[in-house]
Amino acid sequence: MDKLQYADVNRDVVRSLVETGRGYYTTLAIAIAVTLICFFFPWFYQLFYGIGAAGNNHPAVWGTYLASFIFWIGLSHSGTLLSCVLHITNSEWRKAMYRSAEAMTLFSLMVAATMVLVHLGRPWFVHWTLPYPNQMELWPNFKSPLLFDVMAVTTYLTGSTIFIYMGSIPDFAAVRDRTRGWRHHMYVLLSLGWRGTDTQWHRLNWAYTFLAVLIIPLAVSVHSIVSWDFALSIVPALHQTIYAPYFVVGAIYSGTAGIVTVMFVLRKYMKFEQYITQVHFDNLGKLLLALSLIWTYINILEVFTGWYSGTSSEHEAMKFKMFGYYAVLYWEMILFCAFLPLVLISKRFRTSFLPMLILSIAINIGMYTERFLIVGTSLSRQYLPDAWGLYVPSLVEISILIGTLGMFTTMFLIFVKIFPSVSIYEVKETMDKPEKKQSEGGAAWQTTS
Amino acid sequence: MHKRESHNDMSTIDRRDFLKLVGAGSVGAGAGFMLAEVNKHPVEYLIPYAVPPEEFSAGIATWYNSVCSMCPAGCGITVRTREGRAKKIEGNPSHPVNQGRLCALGQAGLQVLYNPDRLTAPSVRAGDRGASSFTQITWNDGLARVGERLTGLHEKGQGSRICFLSEGVRGHLGNLLELFMEQLGSERLMHYDFAHPQTLYAANKRFFGEDSLPYYDLENTRFLLSFGADYLGRWISPVHHSLGFGRSRQSGHDHRGRFVQIEPRMSVSGAAADEWIPAKPGTEGILALGMAHQIVSQGGYTGDDQGEWAAVLEQYSSDRVADQTGVAADTITRLADAFANTRPSLAIGGGAAANGSNGVDTLMAVSALNYLAGNIGKAGGMLFNPPPAFGSTSQSRQASYQAMTEFAEDARQGKIDVLIINGANPVFSLPAAGAFAEALAEIPFIVSLSSFMDETTAMADLILPSHTYLESWGDDVPEPGIGFPVGAISQPVVSPLYNTRATGDIILALGQQMGFEAVLPWATTENFLKACWQKIHARGATTEAADDFDSFWRSILQAGVWGENVQNANRSFVIDQGVVNDIGVEAAEFSGSSDAYPFVLHPYLSNALYDGRAANLPWMQELPDPMTSIVYGSWVEMNPITAEELGVSEGDLVKVESPHGEITVPVFVYPAIMPDVIAMPIGQGHADFGRYASNRGSNPISIFAPQIEPKSGSLAWGATRVKLQVTGQRVDLLKISGESRELGRNIIQTTSAWEGATEHAQIDSIPISVVSS
Amino acid sequence: MNIFERFTRGWQKYRRPGYYEKFDYAWTMTVDLDRCTGCEACVTACQAENNIPIVGDKDIAKGRQMQWIRIERYWQGEYPNAKLSFIPMLCQHCDAAPCETVCPVSATYHNQDGLNTQVYNRCIGTRSCAVYCPYEVRYFNYRDHHWDAPLEQQLNPDVTVREKGVMEKCTFCIQRIRMAKDNAKDDGRRRVRDGEVQPACVQTCPAEALVFGDRQDPQSKVSKKMNDPRAYRVLDELNTHSSVVYLKKVDADG
Ligand SMILES: Nc1nc2c(c(=O)[nH]1)N[C@H]1C(S)=C(S)[C@@H](COP(=O)(O)OP(=O)(O)OC[C@H]3O[C@@H](n4cnc5c(=O)[nH]c(N)nc54)[C@H](O)[C@@H]3O)O[C@H]1N2
Ligand code: SF4
Ligand code: SF4
Ligand code: SF4
Ligand code: SF4
Ligand code: SF4
Repeated sequence: MDKLQYADVNRDVVRSLVETGRGYYTTLAIAIAVTLICFFFPWFYQLFYGIGAAGNNHPAVWGTYLASFIFWIGLSHSGTLLSCVLHITNSEWRKAMYRSAEAMTLFSLMVAATMVLVHLGRPWFVHWTLPYPNQMELWPNFKSPLLFDVMAVTTYLTGSTIFIYMGSIPDFAAVRDRTRGWRHHMYVLLSLGWRGTDTQWHRLNWAYTFLAVLIIPLAVSVHSIVSWDFALSIVPALHQTIYAPYFVVGAIYSGTAGIVTVMFVLRKYMKFEQYITQVHFDNLGKLLLALSLIWTYINILEVFTGWYSGTSSEHEAMKFKMFGYYAVLYWEMILFCAFLPLVLISKRFRTSFLPMLILSIAINIGMYTERFLIVGTSLSRQYLPDAWGLYVPSLVEISILIGTLGMFTTMFLIFVKIFPSVSIYEVKETMDKPEKKQSEGGAAWQTTS
Repeated sequence: MHKRESHNDMSTIDRRDFLKLVGAGSVGAGAGFMLAEVNKHPVEYLIPYAVPPEEFSAGIATWYNSVCSMCPAGCGITVRTREGRAKKIEGNPSHPVNQGRLCALGQAGLQVLYNPDRLTAPSVRAGDRGASSFTQITWNDGLARVGERLTGLHEKGQGSRICFLSEGVRGHLGNLLELFMEQLGSERLMHYDFAHPQTLYAANKRFFGEDSLPYYDLENTRFLLSFGADYLGRWISPVHHSLGFGRSRQSGHDHRGRFVQIEPRMSVSGAAADEWIPAKPGTEGILALGMAHQIVSQGGYTGDDQGEWAAVLEQYSSDRVADQTGVAADTITRLADAFANTRPSLAIGGGAAANGSNGVDTLMAVSALNYLAGNIGKAGGMLFNPPPAFGSTSQSRQASYQAMTEFAEDARQGKIDVLIINGANPVFSLPAAGAFAEALAEIPFIVSLSSFMDETTAMADLILPSHTYLESWGDDVPEPGIGFPVGAISQPVVSPLYNTRATGDIILALGQQMGFEAVLPWATTENFLKACWQKIHARGATTEAADDFDSFWRSILQAGVWGENVQNANRSFVIDQGVVNDIGVEAAEFSGSSDAYPFVLHPYLSNALYDGRAANLPWMQELPDPMTSIVYGSWVEMNPITAEELGVSEGDLVKVESPHGEITVPVFVYPAIMPDVIAMPIGQGHADFGRYASNRGSNPISIFAPQIEPKSGSLAWGATRVKLQVTGQRVDLLKISGESRELGRNIIQTTSAWEGATEHAQIDSIPISVVSS
Repeated sequence: MNIFERFTRGWQKYRRPGYYEKFDYAWTMTVDLDRCTGCEACVTACQAENNIPIVGDKDIAKGRQMQWIRIERYWQGEYPNAKLSFIPMLCQHCDAAPCETVCPVSATYHNQDGLNTQVYNRCIGTRSCAVYCPYEVRYFNYRDHHWDAPLEQQLNPDVTVREKGVMEKCTFCIQRIRMAKDNAKDDGRRRVRDGEVQPACVQTCPAEALVFGDRQDPQSKVSKKMNDPRAYRVLDELNTHSSVVYLKKVDADG
């Protein structure tokens, strides 16, 4: 089709909100079904039976639930984080993709939070981790890295929520003006009386940039803190200074890969071919390549420091991770996260959609494996050999893992029907000013932006 | 008079301290009177008594002294009760055998009392024998059924067609059984315990002329030579031996005892020893004589009969012995010299070594070592015990395997009409080859007084379930004694849980029915006991504060133990001429040729399950085996080399086949066992012994050769050869330990040769590196 | 002194060695490895005293044993020179306990007797304390355990029965310590006498390998044992400042 007009943008985006095909509903139905059957039923069983429903034992008391927690927190990065960085550096190509990227952040964080509940032995007392005045006159333990976690994650969640909402206000307004019925009323509320006056624009930009700057260190801190749950222990192979950067890089790495996946889906199924283009995939590809190199470097470091420590405990832990019961997984991780991404050197690869999709999925499989190995292998090889053990996930755990994917998809599907998943006004900023005589859409943008 | 504080542990007890202690115990007494008024079923109440009787105040514990009956060692126990329920068994600090300590099995006694699979009321057989289907009846009915049978035979003067087969029973209850059987006119009163050290009694009789066990003074010995005796495991009196071991090792003395263990498979005692020496199974006695030869030939023995000894020992030169035993000649001479020169030293023998075809000879050889080194009647050596202060010993009535087979034969020939079983479980603890179960099937009427359904009780026509030891009256004379006369009262610590009766009461009730009042006038065991103790009280010569009987009775109930003021039994020992020429050991014979059956089966008593009687206690099932950490099952131990040759590893199922049967068990690769020996614990493999024991693991006894040790008539349970067949299947061995090597992590730190406390470790002032102070 | 200084001061005070010694008692156990025979009597004694569940063969197969004191065993050498040594492993009641810092709800904390206590009611079951404990002596209730009737009649009324989802471990038999303190108070004594408190495991140990007492009292048996040149702490390099002190095994020929 010929060059994109402002009007087309409004039309396309609004279409993505109001026009819903049967395909959408079937996907949604499947997603919800998966969530119920694979997540909630097993979880309720576990609540009834006890954590024994999972494969944990002595000494491997942690398992996939925490691995999933780290994974989803990781995925949440580079949604908002990336969006912020790119916003501050005014990189144009960000604008078509950041909204859905931020949404990813939001929903992964929510899934991560539920994983905490699933992990707890007595989730019905989880509120004891919050510092609120109570009849027991007890505070939580502020020395505990787990408590740092609670703080960091909740803050990050709040920050991201505000950030994504704020960025969407003008678009809510745009949609408000092109919808009627209950949708109209909904957007009236959501758009908070946005009229597009200069003052409003001015304040929005200021606040938006301010938040962006604020969120960057926050995002970095979140995964550093998650890493401390492990690094602050004295468990061989976990007790490592490299862990914070290791986790942050890993997080952005898997997050970026996640974005690629989501971009592909949106582009294909929400018909955003003109908005999400090869440019985006090219840039994301470059980013992925850089991240994979750093990630590989840190992995080499991890092994090296383990070996260099010269202590039996570190050596055995490393040996078990690399050549033990789960050796296959370890080398699968190395293949998917260290070697495969090297193809990103070729521009042809970066700019071809399907291969990028496959790679991005492979990377996230590898990254989940990384988290599983961190939790699943280290605890089995600690200081007292007599107490060594082995941890194997149970069916309940695997089912819940699948269920969380369903949960994430469900939330995302609902999102794309409420939020304009491509930022209308910022996309327009990237386009040339329209000629005077207008196709019918004109009024729309004049009133809104 | 409940007890307020836990016992301060006593370092050591000698006779004088002990006698001071007796009566000083501050523990609940007269539980009997009190329990008489007690509601039969306390369990239905949160707080059992509206107006609680003496010593029952809600929330405050009461302790009762009694005797542990989980094994024959006879340790004194103190049972902590709350609101009429037994909560914890602790050692009685006043009891000289265990001095406040208990083994794991003793701790688990509570699960005998509160076992979910207890027999709760008299019942008669409903289905076929062995089908263990029974219907409940009343006590009167039950007693009447037995009564009429017995009366019938008694009147016809056929008392000898009645047999009473009991587990080892000591003290006055033993006398009661004797009186009863005497009245019936039956000689057939037999005790049977698989682990009863019959060869040791026989050897002692031959060597010392005493049919009793001496006191082995581990505490004061400085050099212990153990020929297969797992004295820290289940050999005779593990708790007392552990006390002695610990104190000999580390009690701030100027010395540290040295312990040497000689056995083909490392036992718990082998692990604790300073030196573990594998010798060919069945040659331990030869090894002992090899050392004896060295001692005599080096002039270490200077008795008048030195000549005879030299002659007898001539053929046991260390080189020849080395060939036969597989122990290096210089090791033999080294140990012999150390044994002779370290004063005091002590040699003991037991386990498979003492239960081979040459068991008695082997133990004679061990005694010879003690004699030649001059360890007899010396502190730190072996001391003689006085005759038991009262009652009977289980030895006097103990049935050898030979006696059991003869009995079985009589049963087959229909010479037995009535069999009364009390606690013993021969169907489990006799080799299947003896066909004992089949013999039982020939007996018209079998009564079981057992508290549990087990393989033997399943054969019974009538079950008159007896109390557990924590619900019954009794008394006990520890065997072996501790050098001076000691007795202990066991009193009920809780009111009976179920509609059961004390064994003694059942006997007395039967006595009434048969009109034995003249001889058995007592209404209850308690009365009977008091009558007996009145005699002891009349003897005088007892601990202080006991002028009238009631206070005497109370004081011994309080102390839980009693000692008599008679002189120490130690006498100078002169060996009988005949004995010397009686010394000599042939290598043991095994059932099965060495080429058809390449492996010697080395059975041993399970630390937790003992001879299998504790297999129905969940705590014991879940207690890791000390050497392997295995729980809930059986296994067969073999040398890594053997395992490699067979191409098996841990968990692989192998068929263990003897000339007399086969069992299938998982492999455990055991670093400290001879390559041509395989070892199996005894205790599992019950067919019908409650929910925790039934159909779990396999019973090695079932494949034992029915071989008899000629000089004692006992079962030579160390005399079986087996072959192994790999099945190709495997199971997960349930064990607690992970990696079995330390990987240089220095977790168990050792220090070389011990020279008492020299410089002082500053354990408290290790700097914390993370702190800047 | 600004708020920051105050914080760091407080923190260092908390971390300084001997910090806990200024409390009422410093309960300590010594374990003589030259005496321990591996008989496991302590294990059953503890199980009986502290209502430790019988987990059953299925849970054992999953590696979920719960005995608070376990006997670790390590082989050295090969046949015929193979040796086996035992070491009882229980909560070391570290004065600088890693498990305490990580508990988000302070369900496990250090009390004024130098005990590492475990508040079952407060525990939310994160299991992080078990991860942080280098001695692997914390055991988690993976399900609700039950006692086949009438086994439950044995349960010790002075000790809670733990529900699913909470962590548990050796308490140094705190119920016995409390009892002894009460008795001392009732008898008008300021302090508990040496030997007056005997944890179940110590009380039953047939080889007298275990000794328990207050290391603040220089005359107590433990204090004397701690001065034995054989005294050492397991994993001392981790600076946990454990209250369980081991006495080296003697290798007479080594
Ligand atoms: N004079 C006077 N009268 C009072 C009061 C007062 O202060 N003074 N207080 C009033 C008040 S507040 C109350 S609550 C009532 C209480 O009056 P009640 O309810 O009568 O309480 P108690 O009298 O303490 O206990 C009643 C009986 O229950 C028995 N008992 C204890 N445990 C158990 C058990 O587990 N099972 C069974 N079956 N019985 C058990 C006790 O031994 C006692 O005999 O009295 C009221 N009446
Ligand atoms: S040794 Fe025997 S008598 Fe002593 S406590 Fe153990 S089982 Fe009981
Ligand atoms: S009871 Fe004593 S000797 Fe036995 S294992 Fe425990 S600590 Fe060692
Ligand atoms: S041993 Fe483990 S559980 Fe006990 S205090 Fe130390 S760290 Fe905590
Ligand atoms: S399991 Fe319980 S005690 Fe342990 S850290 Fe979590 S909440 Fe604290
Ligand atoms: S001190 Fe008490 S709780 Fe700790 S292991 Fe010993 S018996 Fe168990």
